[in-house]
Amino acid sequence: MSVGLVAVAATAVALSGCAPQDDGVVTLNFFQFKPEAVGNFTDIVADFEAANPDIRVVQNSVPDPDTAIRTLLVKNKVPDVLTLNVNGNYGELARACIFADLADEPVVDTVNPAVQQIVQDLGTCTADGGSDGDEINALPFASNASGILYNPEIFAANDVEVPTTWDELIAAAETFQANGVDPFYCTMKDAWTAGPAFVNLGGTLAPEGFFDDLRAEGSDLDKVSFSKDFDESMAKEVELFSYCQDDFASRDYNAGNKAFAEGASAMYLQGSYAIPAIRANNAEAPIGSFPYPVTDDADDRVVVSGVDVGIMIGRDTPHAAEAQRFVDYLMSPDVVQAYTEAQSTFSPLKNAEPNADTALAGLEPYFSDGKIIGFIDHQIPASIPLVNLLQSMVISGDSEEFLRDLDSEWSKVAARTATQRQGK
Amino acid sequence: MTTRSFTRTPRTFYWMVMPAVVIFFGLHTIPVLSGMFFSLTNYAGYGTWDFVGISNYINLFQDSRVLSSYTFTFGFAIVSTILVNVVALAIALGLNAKIKFKTAFRGVFFIPYVLSILIIGYVFNYLFANSFPAIFTSLGLDGLSGNILSDPNFAWVGIVIVTVWQAAAFNIILYIAGLQTIPAEVYEAAGIDGASSWRQFRSITFPLIGAYFTINMVLSFKSFLQVFDQIVALTAGGPGTSTESIAMVIYRGGFQGGEYGYQMANAVIYLLVIILVSFVQLRFLQRKEASI
Repeated sequence: MSVGLVAVAATAVALSGCAPQDDGVVTLNFFQFKPEAVGNFTDIVADFEAANPDIRVVQNSVPDPDTAIRTLLVKNKVPDVLTLNVNGNYGELARACIFADLADEPVVDTVNPAVQQIVQDLGTCTADGGSDGDEINALPFASNASGILYNPEIFAANDVEVPTTWDELIAAAETFQANGVDPFYCTMKDAWTAGPAFVNLGGTLAPEGFFDDLRAEGSDLDKVSFSKDFDESMAKEVELFSYCQDDFASRDYNAGNKAFAEGASAMYLQGSYAIPAIRANNAEAPIGSFPYPVTDDADDRVVVSGVDVGIMIGRDTPHAAEAQRFVDYLMSPDVVQAYTEAQSTFSPLKNAEPNADTALAGLEPYFSDGKIIGFIDHQIPASIPLVNLLQSMVISGDSEEFLRDLDSEWSKVAARTATQRQGK
Repeated sequence: MTTRSFTRTPRTFYWMVMPAVVIFFGLHTIPVLSGMFFSLTNYAGYGTWDFVGISNYINLFQDSRVLSSYTFTFGFAIVSTILVNVVALAIALGLNAKIKFKTAFRGVFFIPYVLSILIIGYVFNYLFANSFPAIFTSLGLDGLSGNILSDPNFAWVGIVIVTVWQAAAFNIILYIAGLQTIPAEVYEAAGIDGASSWRQFRSITFPLIGAYFTINMVLSFKSFLQVFDQIVALTAGGPGTSTESIAMVIYRGGFQGGEYGYQMANAVIYLLVIILVSFVQLRFLQRKEASI
């Protein structure tokens, strides 16, 4: 028995790794969530290491970052520096006090307050007696925008103007269909691709404070509910998806990017983050964008914007000073600017140059004027299979069943988390 | 030490099994026990937690998503188990007969078992999305020209096809081993009595490989109840939630959805269900075995 124990102990020592280094170089473990940006960050890290020979940064990128980060947390292995998509998952982790407070960082003052607010709204750590919103647990590095992408050449060839109201959008789709062009290329093999339309239509039409009211209700949804308040927006989503190409249920996101790059459809229901992937298939692909025209009033149009990449530091990192130097470098204007140009994103810094990318020209003014709303799916707990329910809805065309299912999932989770800690 | 003096051999055996016991206990039993412990808490997988008693278990039985995953998994496991055993037994009989290139054929039929199920799943995912529809369209069968995996009512059929294709190999090996234990004399005697080959199979072959049939049924049913990898590669539980297996719900809710404690309760129930089902199967099937 004792031999076995010794063996186990020896293995444990070997596995713990992380031996102290003798040459004075500190190694930072950098968790980088975006597989398509590994190249950009490799260059950034190389420049940083050249200027800071006493720090080595190891970039780790995994295919399923949201799951990977949770499994790291289960093992209490929080990386030193992280990038994450700032979504509902991030909010849960921030409230669980996984990330350091960056409120004292000088770079905080360079960030556009409207964008920082989107981060703060998702939740912050309140461990040291602070109230919600005091701490800054993530800095926005790149913002995205969700609207409708379109092919200007196909629009011109069919004499269609960019639609500004819902009726014009449907009329445009009818025109394309009559001319034998697929209005939208849809990719329902990947459930999440029904999400962009959901956040745009639902987010624009949802009543003010809908999610706060919903959370306040707990598990019995009598005053507000998805069935009551999302019926119009989801009927509209089903209507949009009725204009997809025939095999829309069996195509995936990669196939969609390739097809749109080759001019297979007039429009594409994806946000700015799809642009680099489309250009990877065809560097010369004609791409334009416009915000969802949800109502019959052109002034109602807003752009859904989220923080595509946020930067965090692990709360208990032993290399806090080095991690801060790396974060300061990441947030420097030149680095942010170069990244936004490479990845077709919007800079979250004050006084940033507007993104000159023509594909974003239709959305840029809304972003600059602050006519932005956050992603409403970030308000829905990760344990609700939202995208799967959406996928069922657009394939079957039954928005009422979807809303009933979503209500029942919401109230089940609300009942389960009634026992959950609040603000601990 | 007792007064009965041990010879050296038993002690050697103890030293041989001890490392395995220690590793198994450390890497398997302790995680199981900690999972059972967390099923009584509201642990999200990180941060702090509180005891919530058995409320996770109560909520579990009211969760339609969990119940539908049990329905799906049991339906899938029953269909796959029957198909795998029928296919495997038929192929094993063929490979046990006096045919040319017997060894080569056995090798070919064993290949799917060596390949990773994830890789197979992704390959079939491509075939279902692109190749099969093209083949059926060119044959003029427009009814089959869609992707079966994107149809909520029939996606499970695609998963069953891939599963049977991959899993049959292992059961074929077990059946071949069983068939080789039957002495040739009994067949000769049956042949002299004028028994047809179907009669020989029904009255001699099948009863005599009863023990192999039992172990095949139990093992395949158990592994199909745990179905996970091929679903990840083929449908990711979709379309909608129509092909979510129990393991998938546990993984999604526990590791992605921040409901670690709740899904650990699901996992404990799941463990008990699998143990119970395997036990019932063994008791029922072992009574039907024959021996010479």
